[in-house]
Amino acid sequence: MSRLDINIRRLETQRACLNALADLVRDLPGPILELGLGNGRTYDHLREILPGREIFVFDREASAHPDCIPDAAHLLLGDFHETLPQAAARFAGTVALVHADVGSADRQRDARLARFIAGFLPDLLRPGGLVASDRDVAFARAQPVPAPAPAPVMPGTYFLYRRAGPTGPG
Amino acid sequence: MSRLDSLIRRLRAQHACLAHAAELMGHRSGPILEVGLGNGRTYDHVRELFPGRQIIVFEQFAPHDPMIGPAGDDLILGDIRDTLPAVAVRLRARVPLIHSDIGSGDRALNARLADFLAQHLPGLLVPGGVLVSDLALPGLDAMALNLPPGVSPGRYFLYRRR
Repeated sequence: MSRLDINIRRLETQRACLNALADLVRDLPGPILELGLGNGRTYDHLREILPGREIFVFDREASAHPDCIPDAAHLLLGDFHETLPQAAARFAGTVALVHADVGSADRQRDARLARFIAGFLPDLLRPGGLVASDRDVAFARAQPVPAPAPAPVMPGTYFLYRRAGPTGPG
Repeated sequence: MSRLDSLIRRLRAQHACLAHAAELMGHRSGPILEVGLGNGRTYDHVRELFPGRQIIVFEQFAPHDPMIGPAGDDLILGDIRDTLPAVAVRLRARVPLIHSDIGSGDRALNARLADFLAQHLPGLLVPGGVLVSDLALPGLDAMALNLPPGVSPGRYFLYRRR
């Protein structure tokens, strides 16, 4: 499989996962957190499929296309190691969806970052709150959410979880 | 349509056009040209479609990771307007497939590059050779082919030397 094939499958998996979680999040109040703005593609997708929802974006810098950069109140710039602890206090137990697209070519670095993010998810998420990530951020009280079907999902590309709790199906 | 949708559509169009072009190209021999390396995605795909084939790549700047492009003389660095003319003479009527993907958000630059490519690329093709381009190339209407199913008009362009 070529890098073009892999890219297409990865992006289609990402889109299928976000669309599936968006269907669940519509009935779940609370802000959405996008960890990693990158070039703004998935931020643009999230705001399109979840119109009117408040989305807070976290990244070290805003290097996206100018149309895909949120306003200053919704852009939390800095290292995750500083911004996530602040967010955990600010959004405690209210977040409906966290999307973390944070993977790099460095698997060890990614595993450390995934564990770090996972440590904050139970505090951030409301009961029934959802997580989609390109790295495994399994957290305490996480329930796996089945991958959307039928969809062109590439195994191991995306990880979906829900915080156990009284709200939401499952 | 979000930017995520848009990228998926673009890559799907690329994939479908390259598959279609590979079919049209058939068993014609000769080097393949990739105009624009970018992050090496389609170079990798063309390499997989045509194992062992010489692929000459034009790119403005050296790639951040040398592994994503060809080694040695097959990677031609610099402004395409400086580097292509000599190659166009050397490989005249010898190339069975050209994939050109150098469009950007700069419309004025795209128009200048399209004029330049339209002038230099067709002469490289062997009879029956195929040119796949992300930019519409002016003046080549007589060479234009229909796009494969699933690719929206205007997203990619296919030309063939008769």
